[in-house]
Amino acid sequence: MDYFVTEIDRAGTVAVDDTLLVKGFETKAGSHILDGFVPLFSADAVDRLLKAGYAVKGKTHTGEFGLDIAGETSYHGVCKKADGSLSTAAAEAVASGTVKVALCVDVNGAPRRGAALSGVDFIKPTYGTVSRYGIIPTACSGEQVGVCAGNAEDVKELLSVIAGHDGKDGTSLPAEKYGYSSDKDISGMKIAVVKELYDAAKDEVKSVLDNYLNKIESSGAKIETVSVPDVKAYATAWQIMLSAETCNNISRYDGVKFGYRTPTYKDIDELYVNSRTEGMGFTAKMNVLYGSDVLSKNQYLSCYDKSLRLRRVASEKMKEIFASFDAVIAPAMSSASVEEYDLAQTFERTKKELLFTTVPNLIGIPAMVTGGVQLWGAAFAESTLLSIAGAVERMAD
Amino acid sequence: MTVEILKALESLNEFRLTDSEEQKAMEVFGFMENEAEELRSIDTENVDVMVHCMPMTNVFREDVREQPFTREQLLEGAPEHSEDSWIVPRLVK
Repeated sequence: MDYFVTEIDRAGTVAVDDTLLVKGFETKAGSHILDGFVPLFSADAVDRLLKAGYAVKGKTHTGEFGLDIAGETSYHGVCKKADGSLSTAAAEAVASGTVKVALCVDVNGAPRRGAALSGVDFIKPTYGTVSRYGIIPTACSGEQVGVCAGNAEDVKELLSVIAGHDGKDGTSLPAEKYGYSSDKDISGMKIAVVKELYDAAKDEVKSVLDNYLNKIESSGAKIETVSVPDVKAYATAWQIMLSAETCNNISRYDGVKFGYRTPTYKDIDELYVNSRTEGMGFTAKMNVLYGSDVLSKNQYLSCYDKSLRLRRVASEKMKEIFASFDAVIAPAMSSASVEEYDLAQTFERTKKELLFTTVPNLIGIPAMVTGGVQLWGAAFAESTLLSIAGAVERMAD
Repeated sequence: MTVEILKALESLNEFRLTDSEEQKAMEVFGFMENEAEELRSIDTENVDVMVHCMPMTNVFREDVREQPFTREQLLEGAPEHSEDSWIVPRLVK
Protein backbone atom coordinates (compact mmCIF):
# COMPACT_ATOMS: atom_id res chain seq x y z
CA MET A 1 0.00 0.00 0.00
CA ASP A 2 1.26 3.46 -0.88
CA TYR A 3 0.50 5.55 2.19
CA PHE A 4 1.51 8.85 0.64
CA VAL A 5 -0.29 11.18 -1.72
CA THR A 6 2.87 13.28 -1.92
CA GLU A 7 6.41 12.18 -1.17
CA ILE A 8 8.67 14.88 0.25
CA ASP A 9 11.91 13.47 1.69
CA ARG A 10 12.78 9.79 1.45
CA ALA A 11 14.98 10.07 4.53
CA GLY A 12 12.19 11.60 6.62
CA THR A 13 10.88 9.87 9.74
CA VAL A 14 7.65 11.82 10.12
CA ALA A 15 4.45 11.65 8.05
CA VAL A 16 2.00 14.53 7.91
CA ASP A 17 -1.57 13.90 6.95
CA ASP A 18 -2.83 15.69 3.87
CA THR A 19 -4.87 18.13 5.96
CA LEU A 20 -1.76 19.97 7.18
CA LEU A 21 -0.03 22.43 4.87
CA VAL A 22 3.59 21.81 3.89
CA LYS A 23 5.00 24.75 1.95
CA GLY A 24 5.54 23.95 -1.71
CA PHE A 25 3.76 20.57 -1.67
CA GLU A 26 0.24 19.97 -2.97
CA THR A 27 -2.31 19.67 -0.13
CA LYS A 28 -5.81 18.37 -0.82
CA ALA A 29 -7.36 17.12 2.44
CA GLY A 30 -8.50 14.06 0.50
CA SER A 31 -10.64 16.19 -1.83
CA HIS A 32 -10.70 16.65 -5.60
CA ILE A 33 -11.82 20.26 -5.02
CA LEU A 34 -8.29 21.13 -3.83
CA ASP A 35 -6.56 19.67 -6.90
CA GLY A 36 -3.42 21.64 -7.64
CA PHE A 37 -3.45 23.65 -4.39
CA VAL A 38 0.16 24.25 -3.40
CA PRO A 39 0.43 26.18 -0.12
CA LEU A 40 2.72 29.19 0.26
CA PHE A 41 3.41 28.44 3.92
CA SER A 42 3.51 25.45 6.27
CA ALA A 43 1.33 24.64 9.26
CA ASP A 44 2.83 25.88 12.52
CA ALA A 45 3.11 22.27 13.77
CA VAL A 46 5.08 21.35 10.63
CA ASP A 47 7.37 24.38 11.02
CA ARG A 48 8.11 23.36 14.61
CA LEU A 49 9.01 19.85 13.48
CA LEU A 50 11.35 21.11 10.80
CA LYS A 51 13.00 23.60 13.19
CA ALA A 52 13.57 20.76 15.68
CA GLY A 53 15.46 18.82 12.98
CA TYR A 54 12.81 16.33 11.89
CA ALA A 55 12.28 15.67 8.19
CA VAL A 56 8.87 15.02 6.65
CA LYS A 57 8.79 11.87 4.56
CA GLY A 58 5.47 12.61 2.89
CA LYS A 59 1.81 13.47 3.13
CA THR A 60 -0.50 10.59 3.97
CA HIS A 61 -3.96 9.94 2.47
CA THR A 62 -6.83 11.26 4.53
CA GLY A 63 -10.60 11.02 4.17
CA GLU A 64 -12.20 14.04 2.48
CA PHE A 65 -11.92 16.84 5.08
CA GLY A 66 -11.55 14.18 7.80
CA LEU A 67 -15.29 13.46 7.84
CA ASP A 68 -15.36 9.67 7.65
CA ILE A 69 -14.60 6.60 9.74
CA ALA A 70 -10.98 5.93 8.77
CA GLY A 71 -10.01 7.73 5.57
CA GLU A 72 -12.24 5.78 3.18
CA THR A 73 -13.67 8.85 1.42
CA SER A 74 -10.26 10.02 0.18
CA TYR A 75 -10.37 11.09 -3.45
CA HIS A 76 -7.22 8.98 -3.85
CA GLY A 77 -8.93 5.78 -2.70
CA VAL A 78 -9.03 3.75 0.48
CA CYS A 79 -6.09 2.58 2.57
CA LYS A 80 -6.32 -1.15 3.27
CA LYS A 81 -4.51 -3.25 5.82
CA ALA A 82 -2.87 -6.54 4.82
CA ASP A 83 -6.12 -8.40 5.60
CA GLY A 84 -8.14 -6.11 3.31
CA SER A 85 -9.90 -4.21 6.10
CA LEU A 86 -9.69 -0.42 6.35
CA SER A 87 -7.53 1.89 8.43
CA THR A 88 -6.03 5.34 8.07
CA ALA A 89 -2.89 5.69 5.96
CA ALA A 90 -1.07 7.55 8.75
CA ALA A 91 -1.70 4.77 11.30
CA GLU A 92 -0.68 2.10 8.80
CA ALA A 93 2.48 4.02 7.85
CA VAL A 94 3.42 4.05 11.55
CA ALA A 95 2.39 0.42 12.15
CA SER A 96 4.44 -0.77 9.17
CA GLY A 97 7.53 1.12 10.35
CA THR A 98 7.55 3.31 7.22
CA VAL A 99 7.68 6.33 9.54
CA LYS A 100 8.25 6.65 13.27
CA VAL A 101 5.51 9.20 13.88
CA ALA A 102 2.71 11.00 12.05
CA LEU A 103 0.79 14.22 12.57
CA CYS A 104 -2.95 13.98 11.94
CA VAL A 105 -5.90 16.33 12.34
CA ASP A 106 -8.63 14.88 14.57
CA VAL A 107 -11.95 16.35 13.38
CA ASN A 108 -14.30 13.56 14.33
CA GLY A 109 -12.07 10.86 15.80
CA ALA A 110 -10.84 9.27 12.52
CA PRO A 111 -7.14 9.27 13.60
CA ARG A 112 -8.16 7.65 16.89
CA ARG A 113 -10.12 4.97 15.06
CA GLY A 114 -7.18 4.47 12.70
CA ALA A 115 -4.82 3.98 15.66
CA ALA A 116 -7.16 1.41 17.19
CA LEU A 117 -7.54 -0.43 13.87
CA SER A 118 -3.78 -0.51 13.22
CA GLY A 119 -2.63 -1.17 16.80
CA VAL A 120 -0.67 2.05 17.32
CA ASP A 121 -0.97 5.06 19.66
CA PHE A 122 -2.57 8.42 18.89
CA ILE A 123 -3.12 11.46 21.09
CA LYS A 124 -5.52 14.31 20.47
CA PRO A 125 -4.22 16.90 22.92
CA THR A 126 -6.19 19.54 24.80
CA TYR A 127 -7.81 22.02 22.42
CA GLY A 128 -5.61 25.09 22.00
CA THR A 129 -2.31 23.50 23.05
CA VAL A 130 -1.21 22.79 19.45
CA SER A 131 -1.64 25.50 16.84
CA ARG A 132 -4.30 24.99 14.19
CA TYR A 133 -2.59 27.54 11.93
CA GLY A 134 -2.03 25.97 8.52
CA ILE A 135 -4.48 23.11 8.67
CA ILE A 136 -7.33 22.79 6.17
CA PRO A 137 -10.20 23.73 8.50
CA THR A 138 -13.33 21.63 8.81
CA ALA A 139 -14.79 21.96 12.33
CA CYS A 140 -12.76 24.73 13.95
CA SER A 141 -14.32 24.59 17.40
CA GLY A 142 -13.26 21.01 18.11
CA GLU A 143 -10.61 19.80 15.66
CA GLN A 144 -7.04 19.50 16.84
CA VAL A 145 -3.65 18.37 15.52
CA GLY A 146 -2.50 15.16 17.19
CA VAL A 147 0.37 12.69 17.12
CA CYS A 148 0.37 9.04 16.01
CA ALA A 149 3.30 6.79 16.98
CA GLY A 150 4.19 3.24 17.88
CA ASN A 151 4.40 3.93 21.62
CA ALA A 152 3.66 6.52 24.29
CA GLU A 153 7.31 7.61 24.52
CA ASP A 154 7.41 8.59 20.83
CA VAL A 155 4.02 10.30 21.11
CA LYS A 156 5.35 12.34 24.04
CA GLU A 157 8.52 13.29 22.16
CA LEU A 158 6.71 14.70 19.15
CA LEU A 159 3.87 16.30 21.12
CA SER A 160 6.48 18.18 23.16
CA VAL A 161 7.88 19.57 19.90
CA ILE A 162 4.60 20.78 18.36
CA ALA A 163 2.71 22.07 21.44
CA GLY A 164 2.95 25.68 22.59
CA HIS A 165 1.47 29.12 21.99
CA ASP A 166 1.22 30.40 18.44
CA GLY A 167 0.32 34.05 17.97
CA LYS A 168 -1.00 33.29 14.49
CA ASP A 169 -3.84 31.12 15.86
CA GLY A 170 -6.70 32.83 17.71
CA THR A 171 -7.56 29.56 19.45
CA SER A 172 -4.00 28.98 20.74
CA LEU A 173 -3.69 29.00 24.54
CA PRO A 174 -1.04 31.23 26.18
CA ALA A 175 1.48 28.70 27.57
CA GLU A 176 4.70 28.84 25.54
CA LYS A 177 5.58 25.17 26.20
CA TYR A 178 4.04 22.16 27.91
CA GLY A 179 6.02 19.63 29.93
CA TYR A 180 4.76 16.11 29.27
CA SER A 181 5.76 12.88 30.99
CA SER A 182 4.95 9.25 30.30
CA ASP A 183 6.29 7.72 33.49
CA LYS A 184 4.06 9.00 36.30
CA ASP A 185 3.24 6.29 38.83
CA ILE A 186 -0.23 5.00 37.96
CA SER A 187 -0.74 2.93 41.11
CA GLY A 188 -3.55 4.50 43.08
CA MET A 189 -4.99 6.25 40.04
CA LYS A 190 -8.75 6.01 39.69
CA ILE A 191 -10.04 5.21 36.24
CA ALA A 192 -13.68 5.32 35.16
CA VAL A 193 -15.26 3.03 32.59
CA VAL A 194 -18.18 4.67 30.78
CA LYS A 195 -20.99 2.13 31.01
CA GLU A 196 -22.95 3.35 27.97
CA LEU A 197 -19.89 3.18 25.70
CA TYR A 198 -18.78 -0.20 27.01
CA ASP A 199 -22.28 -1.61 26.46
CA ALA A 200 -22.45 -0.19 22.92
CA ALA A 201 -19.28 -1.94 21.74
CA LYS A 202 -19.16 -5.39 20.14
CA ASP A 203 -17.87 -8.33 22.18
CA GLU A 204 -14.50 -8.32 20.37
CA VAL A 205 -13.93 -4.72 21.54
CA LYS A 206 -15.18 -5.43 25.07
CA SER A 207 -12.66 -8.24 25.30
CA VAL A 208 -9.77 -5.89 24.32
CA LEU A 209 -10.99 -3.38 26.90
CA ASP A 210 -11.35 -6.02 29.62
CA ASN A 211 -7.82 -7.20 28.94
CA TYR A 212 -6.50 -3.62 29.17
CA LEU A 213 -8.41 -3.01 32.42
CA ASN A 214 -6.79 -6.12 33.94
CA LYS A 215 -3.36 -4.73 33.09
CA ILE A 216 -4.15 -1.35 34.62
CA GLU A 217 -5.51 -3.01 37.74
CA SER A 218 -2.40 -5.14 38.06
CA SER A 219 -0.42 -1.86 38.13
CA GLY A 220 -2.38 -0.76 41.17
CA ALA A 221 -4.95 1.51 39.52
CA LYS A 222 -8.55 1.31 40.65
CA ILE A 223 -11.37 0.83 38.15
CA GLU A 224 -14.96 1.91 38.62
CA THR A 225 -17.92 2.14 36.26
CA VAL A 226 -19.65 5.49 35.72
CA SER A 227 -22.75 6.38 33.77
CA VAL A 228 -22.98 9.18 31.19
CA PRO A 229 -26.63 8.74 30.16
CA ASP A 230 -26.67 11.59 27.62
CA VAL A 231 -23.52 10.55 25.76
CA LYS A 232 -25.45 9.70 22.58
CA ALA A 233 -27.00 13.16 22.59
CA TYR A 234 -23.50 14.66 22.96
CA ALA A 235 -22.54 12.85 19.75
CA THR A 236 -25.55 14.32 17.99
CA ALA A 237 -24.63 17.78 19.30
CA TRP A 238 -21.12 17.42 17.85
CA GLN A 239 -22.51 16.15 14.52
CA ILE A 240 -24.70 19.26 14.33
CA MET A 241 -21.81 21.64 15.13
CA LEU A 242 -19.41 19.71 12.91
CA SER A 243 -21.76 19.94 9.93
CA ALA A 244 -22.54 23.61 10.57
CA GLU A 245 -18.85 24.49 10.75
CA THR A 246 -18.04 22.32 7.71
CA CYS A 247 -20.73 24.12 5.75
CA ASN A 248 -19.04 27.46 6.45
CA ASN A 249 -15.48 26.27 5.94
CA ILE A 250 -16.11 24.46 2.66
CA SER A 251 -17.95 27.42 1.15
CA ARG A 252 -14.56 28.96 0.21
CA TYR A 253 -13.87 26.37 -2.49
CA ASP A 254 -15.26 27.87 -5.67
CA GLY A 255 -12.86 27.06 -8.52
CA VAL A 256 -11.67 30.66 -8.83
CA LYS A 257 -8.64 31.44 -6.64
CA PHE A 258 -7.20 27.96 -6.11
CA GLY A 259 -8.06 24.29 -6.40
CA TYR A 260 -10.18 22.47 -8.96
CA ARG A 261 -12.09 24.25 -11.75
CA THR A 262 -14.57 22.39 -13.94
CA PRO A 263 -13.72 22.36 -17.65
CA THR A 264 -17.43 22.81 -18.53
CA TYR A 265 -19.04 26.17 -17.79
CA LYS A 266 -20.66 28.98 -19.70
CA ASP A 267 -20.98 31.59 -16.96
CA ILE A 268 -19.85 32.28 -13.39
CA ASP A 269 -22.79 30.41 -11.85
CA GLU A 270 -22.00 27.27 -13.81
CA LEU A 271 -18.34 27.63 -12.90
CA TYR A 272 -19.19 27.61 -9.17
CA VAL A 273 -21.84 24.89 -9.33
CA ASN A 274 -20.02 22.52 -11.67
CA SER A 275 -16.68 22.92 -9.88
CA ARG A 276 -18.25 22.18 -6.49
CA THR A 277 -20.50 19.39 -7.84
CA GLU A 278 -17.57 17.60 -9.50
CA GLY A 279 -15.02 18.49 -6.83
CA MET A 280 -16.67 17.17 -3.67
CA GLY A 281 -17.81 13.71 -2.62
CA PHE A 282 -21.24 12.84 -1.24
CA THR A 283 -20.23 12.79 2.44
CA ALA A 284 -18.76 16.29 2.27
CA LYS A 285 -21.84 17.55 0.43
CA MET A 286 -24.13 15.82 2.92
CA ASN A 287 -22.38 17.55 5.82
CA VAL A 288 -22.73 20.89 4.05
CA LEU A 289 -26.45 20.32 3.42
CA TYR A 290 -27.14 19.21 6.96
CA GLY A 291 -25.01 22.06 8.30
CA SER A 292 -26.90 24.69 6.34
CA ASP A 293 -30.20 23.15 7.45
CA VAL A 294 -29.34 23.28 11.18
CA LEU A 295 -28.24 26.90 10.77
CA SER A 296 -31.48 27.87 9.04
CA LYS A 297 -34.16 29.99 10.74
CA ASN A 298 -36.43 27.01 11.39
CA GLN A 299 -33.78 24.72 12.89
CA TYR A 300 -31.32 27.08 14.57
CA LEU A 301 -32.82 27.09 18.06
CA SER A 302 -33.87 23.45 18.17
CA CYS A 303 -30.61 22.09 16.71
CA TYR A 304 -27.61 24.42 16.66
CA ASP A 305 -28.36 26.53 19.74
CA LYS A 306 -29.43 23.38 21.60
CA SER A 307 -26.09 21.74 20.73
CA LEU A 308 -24.13 24.69 22.12
CA ARG A 309 -26.02 24.23 25.39
CA LEU A 310 -25.39 20.48 25.32
CA ARG A 311 -21.67 21.27 25.01
CA ARG A 312 -21.87 22.95 28.42
CA VAL A 313 -23.89 20.06 29.87
CA ALA A 314 -21.21 17.64 28.62
CA SER A 315 -18.42 19.83 29.98
CA GLU A 316 -20.01 20.00 33.43
CA LYS A 317 -20.67 16.26 33.45
CA MET A 318 -17.05 15.46 32.60
CA LYS A 319 -15.78 17.96 35.20
CA GLU A 320 -17.86 16.09 37.77
CA ILE A 321 -16.29 12.79 36.70
CA PHE A 322 -12.74 14.16 36.64
CA ALA A 323 -13.23 15.54 40.16
CA SER A 324 -13.22 11.90 41.31
CA PHE A 325 -11.21 10.12 38.60
CA ASP A 326 -7.81 10.57 36.97
CA ALA A 327 -8.93 9.27 33.59
CA VAL A 328 -11.81 7.72 31.70
CA ILE A 329 -11.48 4.60 29.60
CA ALA A 330 -13.77 3.70 26.68
CA PRO A 331 -13.72 1.79 23.41
CA ALA A 332 -12.32 3.80 20.48
CA MET A 333 -15.00 2.42 18.19
CA SER A 334 -17.78 -0.14 18.01
CA SER A 335 -15.84 -2.93 16.28
CA ALA A 336 -12.27 -4.16 15.93
CA SER A 337 -12.20 -3.87 12.14
CA VAL A 338 -13.95 -2.03 9.31
CA GLU A 339 -14.58 -3.71 5.96
CA GLU A 340 -15.10 -1.78 2.71
CA TYR A 341 -18.68 -0.59 2.37
CA ASP A 342 -20.95 1.52 0.13
CA LEU A 343 -19.73 5.10 0.67
CA ALA A 344 -23.30 6.40 0.37
CA GLN A 345 -23.61 5.11 3.97
CA THR A 346 -20.63 7.09 5.33
CA PHE A 347 -22.57 9.90 7.01
CA GLU A 348 -24.76 7.57 9.08
CA ARG A 349 -22.01 5.06 9.81
CA THR A 350 -19.63 7.77 10.95
CA LYS A 351 -22.33 9.37 13.08
CA LYS A 352 -22.80 6.05 14.88
CA GLU A 353 -19.05 5.84 15.58
CA LEU A 354 -19.04 9.42 16.92
CA LEU A 355 -20.66 7.99 20.03
CA PHE A 356 -17.22 6.78 21.15
CA THR A 357 -15.06 9.74 20.12
CA THR A 358 -17.23 12.85 20.42
CA VAL A 359 -16.68 14.05 23.98
CA PRO A 360 -13.00 15.07 23.55
CA ASN A 361 -13.82 17.04 20.35
CA LEU A 362 -16.93 18.60 21.83
CA ILE A 363 -15.36 19.92 25.04
CA GLY A 364 -11.67 20.06 24.12
CA ILE A 365 -10.26 17.51 26.55
CA PRO A 366 -7.32 15.25 25.60
CA ALA A 367 -7.90 11.70 24.33
CA MET A 368 -5.43 8.95 23.61
CA VAL A 369 -5.82 5.64 21.84
CA THR A 370 -3.42 2.94 22.95
CA GLY A 371 -3.60 -0.84 22.93
CA GLY A 372 -6.90 -0.63 21.04
CA VAL A 373 -8.66 1.34 23.81
CA GLN A 374 -9.33 5.01 24.35
CA LEU A 375 -8.39 7.14 27.37
CA TRP A 376 -9.77 10.60 28.16
CA GLY A 377 -8.36 13.03 30.66
CA ALA A 378 -9.24 16.40 32.13
CA ALA A 379 -7.92 19.41 30.19
CA PHE A 380 -4.09 19.45 30.23
CA ALA A 381 -3.90 15.91 31.71
CA GLU A 382 -1.96 14.50 28.73
CA SER A 383 0.75 13.22 31.08
CA THR A 384 -1.78 11.05 32.90
CA LEU A 385 -2.89 9.45 29.63
CA LEU A 386 0.70 9.03 28.40
CA SER A 387 1.69 7.46 31.72
CA ILE A 388 -1.16 4.95 31.72
CA ALA A 389 -0.28 4.02 28.13
CA GLY A 390 3.42 3.91 28.98
CA ALA A 391 2.90 1.69 32.02
CA VAL A 392 0.91 -0.87 30.05
CA GLU A 393 3.40 -0.79 27.17
CA ARG A 394 6.34 -1.32 29.55
CA MET A 395 4.47 -4.33 30.95
CA ALA A 396 4.40 -5.87 27.46
CA ASP A 397 8.16 -5.23 27.06
CA MET B 1 -37.23 17.78 5.04
CA THR B 2 -38.87 18.05 1.64
CA VAL B 3 -37.38 17.64 -1.83
CA GLU B 4 -38.07 21.35 -2.46
CA ILE B 5 -36.09 22.40 0.63
CA LEU B 6 -33.31 19.97 -0.26
CA LYS B 7 -33.04 21.47 -3.74
CA ALA B 8 -33.01 24.95 -2.22
CA LEU B 9 -30.14 23.92 0.08
CA GLU B 10 -28.22 22.53 -2.91
CA SER B 11 -28.71 25.79 -4.75
CA LEU B 12 -27.69 27.84 -1.69
CA ASN B 13 -24.50 25.81 -1.40
CA GLU B 14 -23.71 25.99 -5.13
CA PHE B 15 -23.71 22.28 -5.97
CA ARG B 16 -26.09 19.64 -7.29
CA LEU B 17 -26.84 16.09 -6.18
CA THR B 18 -27.82 13.31 -8.56
CA ASP B 19 -31.30 11.80 -8.21
CA SER B 20 -29.94 8.82 -6.28
CA GLU B 21 -27.90 11.12 -4.03
CA GLU B 22 -31.00 13.21 -3.35
CA GLN B 23 -32.86 10.07 -2.36
CA LYS B 24 -30.01 9.11 -0.02
CA ALA B 25 -29.83 12.65 1.38
CA MET B 26 -33.53 12.47 2.29
CA GLU B 27 -32.80 9.26 4.22
CA VAL B 28 -29.90 10.95 6.05
CA PHE B 29 -32.10 13.91 7.01
CA GLY B 30 -34.67 11.45 8.36
CA PHE B 31 -31.97 9.64 10.31
CA MET B 32 -30.65 12.89 11.81
CA GLU B 33 -34.17 14.07 12.66
CA ASN B 34 -34.57 10.98 14.84
CA GLU B 35 -31.15 11.56 16.43
CA ALA B 36 -32.00 15.22 17.11
CA GLU B 37 -35.23 14.24 18.87
CA GLU B 38 -33.19 12.65 21.65
CA LEU B 39 -31.06 15.79 21.91
CA ARG B 40 -34.16 17.98 22.24
CA SER B 41 -35.51 15.83 25.05
CA ILE B 42 -32.68 17.00 27.36
CA ASP B 43 -33.60 19.95 29.52
CA THR B 44 -31.26 22.89 28.88
CA GLU B 45 -33.56 25.69 29.95
CA ASN B 46 -31.15 27.09 32.52
CA VAL B 47 -27.96 26.21 30.65
CA ASP B 48 -25.98 28.90 28.81
CA VAL B 49 -24.59 28.25 25.35
CA MET B 50 -20.92 27.25 25.22
CA VAL B 51 -19.53 28.43 21.89
CA HIS B 52 -15.87 27.69 22.62
CA CYS B 53 -14.61 24.75 24.61
CA MET B 54 -11.61 26.74 25.91
CA PRO B 55 -11.33 30.40 26.95
CA MET B 56 -10.82 32.60 23.88
CA THR B 57 -9.31 36.03 23.53
CA ASN B 58 -9.07 38.32 20.55
CA VAL B 59 -5.70 38.13 18.84
CA PHE B 60 -4.23 41.26 17.34
CA ARG B 61 -0.91 41.82 15.64
CA GLU B 62 0.90 45.12 15.44
CA ASP B 63 -0.91 47.49 13.08
CA VAL B 64 1.95 47.45 10.62
CA ARG B 65 1.49 47.00 6.89
CA GLU B 66 2.96 43.74 5.64
CA GLN B 67 3.05 41.91 2.34
CA PRO B 68 3.71 38.26 3.17
CA PHE B 69 3.10 37.11 -0.41
CA THR B 70 3.53 38.73 -3.79
CA ARG B 71 0.70 39.08 -6.28
CA GLU B 72 2.47 36.55 -8.53
CA GLN B 73 2.61 33.98 -5.73
CA LEU B 74 -1.09 34.40 -4.95
CA LEU B 75 -2.06 34.07 -8.60
CA GLU B 76 0.12 31.04 -9.18
CA GLY B 77 -2.36 28.66 -7.50
CA ALA B 78 -5.37 29.82 -9.52
CA PRO B 79 -6.83 27.52 -12.18
CA GLU B 80 -6.77 30.46 -14.62
CA HIS B 81 -5.14 33.85 -14.29
CA SER B 82 -3.64 36.73 -16.24
CA GLU B 83 -0.54 38.67 -15.23
CA ASP B 84 -2.36 40.52 -12.48
CA SER B 85 -5.84 38.98 -12.00
CA TRP B 86 -7.85 35.82 -11.57
CA ILE B 87 -9.83 35.06 -14.72
CA VAL B 88 -13.53 34.27 -14.44
CA PRO B 89 -16.34 34.37 -17.01
CA ARG B 90 -17.88 37.75 -17.70
CA LEU B 91 -20.05 38.80 -14.73
CA VAL B 92 -21.94 41.70 -16.32
CA LYS B 93 -23.90 40.82 -19.42
